[in-house]
Amino acid sequence: METFVIQFIHGLVYGLLLFLVASGLTLVFGMMSVLNIAHVSFYMLGAYLSYTMFKVMGNFWLALIICPIIVAFLGILMERFILRRVHAAGHVQEFVITFGILFALNEAIIWIWGSENLSVPVPSALSGSLLIMGNIYPAYRLFILFFSLFILALLAFILMKTRLGITVRAMVSDRDMAEALGTNAPFVFMLVMGIGSWLAGLAGVIAAPFLGISSGMGLDFLTDCFIVTVTGGLGSLWGAVVASFLIGQLSSFGILFMPRFAIVFGFLLMAVVLVIKPSGLFGEKA
Amino acid sequence: MRNRNLYHWVGIAVGVLAVLFPHILPRFQLRMVTEIVIVALLAMTWKMMLNEAGLFSFGHAVYFGLGAYASVLGWLHVKGLSLMSGILLGGFAAALIGFILSAFLVRMSGTYYALLTLAFNQLIWAIVWKWRAVTGGDDGLGKFPKPDLLGISMRDPANYYYLSLAIVAACMFLCWYFTKTPLGSVVKSIKSNEERAKFIGFNVGVSKVIFLTMLAFFAGVSGALYAQFQEFVGTSSIDLVMSTNVIFMAFIGGVGHFWGPLLGSGTYVYLSEYLSRYTDRWELIFGIVVVILVLFAPQGILGIARKKT
Repeated sequence: METFVIQFIHGLVYGLLLFLVASGLTLVFGMMSVLNIAHVSFYMLGAYLSYTMFKVMGNFWLALIICPIIVAFLGILMERFILRRVHAAGHVQEFVITFGILFALNEAIIWIWGSENLSVPVPSALSGSLLIMGNIYPAYRLFILFFSLFILALLAFILMKTRLGITVRAMVSDRDMAEALGTNAPFVFMLVMGIGSWLAGLAGVIAAPFLGISSGMGLDFLTDCFIVTVTGGLGSLWGAVVASFLIGQLSSFGILFMPRFAIVFGFLLMAVVLVIKPSGLFGEKA
Repeated sequence: MRNRNLYHWVGIAVGVLAVLFPHILPRFQLRMVTEIVIVALLAMTWKMMLNEAGLFSFGHAVYFGLGAYASVLGWLHVKGLSLMSGILLGGFAAALIGFILSAFLVRMSGTYYALLTLAFNQLIWAIVWKWRAVTGGDDGLGKFPKPDLLGISMRDPANYYYLSLAIVAACMFLCWYFTKTPLGSVVKSIKSNEERAKFIGFNVGVSKVIFLTMLAFFAGVSGALYAQFQEFVGTSSIDLVMSTNVIFMAFIGGVGHFWGPLLGSGTYVYLSEYLSRYTDRWELIFGIVVVILVLFAPQGILGIARKKT
C-alpha cells in the first residue's frame, strides 16, 4: 500500500513536470497550428541556464525567476524572425524549420556547456524530507508538485478570467473571426509563444535539481511530451492536464511492474487513443 | 523549351556519370555514392507520400528498418537464400507492416497523421530494441552472408553499386509510372479534395492503403539494400533520427521536384561526411543550414534552380 502511494506521488510529480512543458506546446499549437518541436530545447536551455545562473549568483530562486524570462525572450525572437516568415510557405515547412532549430539549439547547448552531465543542488530550504505514511519523501519533489499545481491554477485563471485569456481562446477556436474583430494576431502569437517558452524554461529550471542536467534531457522529454499533447488533444489545455497525469502514472507504475517494457506503454496509449479518437481525448478538430 | 532541353542534357550527363562512377571515383567516394543512391530511394518514397497524397510521414524509418531487419534475418536463418530473394523479403515485410499500419493511418491527415506515424515508429523501435533474442538489441546484427548474384560477386563495391543503381532506378521508375496510372490520379485527387473524391465514387480508403503499401515496399527494398551495403543492421536504422534524416533529405533537395530526393540525399550524405570531419558539432551547422534553407528556399535547392532559369 505504501509503495503504491509513493509511486503515485512519483507519477504525479513527473506528470506535472510534463504538463508544464506540454502546456506550452499545446497552447502554441492551438494558436498557430505549428507543432514546435524546438519547444523541448527551450526546456533543456532552461535547465542549463539555471546551472550557470546558480554558479554565478549562488541562488536557486533568482535562477527560477530569471532563466525562464531569458528563454521566453528567445521564444519570442524565434516567432518574430523565423516562424512568422515561413508561415506563408505552409505547415510542412514550419514543421521542418522547428526541427532545424531543435538540432541547432541542442548542439549549441552541448557546444557551450559541454556534453558531460551537470547537476544543480536542491535549494537548502527544500533539501529536507518529509514523512508520508511512514516513508521518507524528499521535500523538493513535493515542492515541484505544489509549484506546478500553482502554475496550472495561474494558467487556468489567465485563460479563463482575463481579457488576454479570452483573446487567446477566441483565436484558438476561430482565428479568422477573432482577427476580423480586431485582434492584433501577430502580437498575440508572439505573446503566446513567449508564455509557452517561459513555461518550458520554468520546467527546465525546476527539473534540473530533480532529474539532473544532461545533453539528452531534451530528447528524452520530447517523446513523453509529444505523447501528452497528442493523447490529450492538440490545443487543449485540459487534455494536457489529464494526459500528463495518465502518462506520469503509467511511467511510474510501468517501471514498478514491467521495467523492461515501461517505455512502450506511453506509445501504446497514444496509438490506442489516436486510433479510437483521432483528435485525442479532448481535441475538437481532427 | 530551352529549359526542357537543359533538363534532358543534365539528366543524360548524370546518367552517364552514374555508370562511369566506379571507374573514375576512388573507393571511398564510391561507397558514399552507393549510400546516396540507396537512401535516395527512401527519400523518394517519403516525398511521394507528401507530394502525391499530402501525407507527412514522421515514422518512415519503420519501413526502412523493418525491411533491413527482415532481409538480414532471412540471410541469417534461411540457408541459401539468394541476394534478390532477401531484398524482396525485406520489401514484402515492409509492405506487410505498411499494409497493417495503413489500416489505422488512412483515417488521419495533417499533423495527426504525422504524429500517429511517430507513435508507431517509436512503438516498433522499442520492440526491436528490447527483443534481443531476435534482433540483437543494441548490438544489432552483423556477419550475415552476402550471396553472389548470377555468379557475380557482390563483395566488389563496384558490382554492388551497379546492383543498387539498377534496383533503385527500377523502383524510381515504378514510382514515376504510378503517378501516371489512373490510381495515381485518384491518390492525387484525394490530396486536393478528399470529400469530393469520395463523392465522385472513388474508394478513398482502399486507394490510400494500396499507395502506402506500395511505398512501404520500396522503402523496405531500400532498407534491405542498405543493410547489405553496411553489412550490418542496428537500431539506428529504425529510430527517430533515421525518420528525421529522411525528412531533411527530401526537404534539402526540394519536395516539389522528382529529382529532389536524389539531390537531397546526395547533399545530406556529403554534408554530414565532410562537416563531421571538421567538427564534432556538425549537427549545429546542419541545423542552421536547414533553417536558412527553409527560410529562404522553402522549395529546396531545386526550387531555387527552377526560379532562376
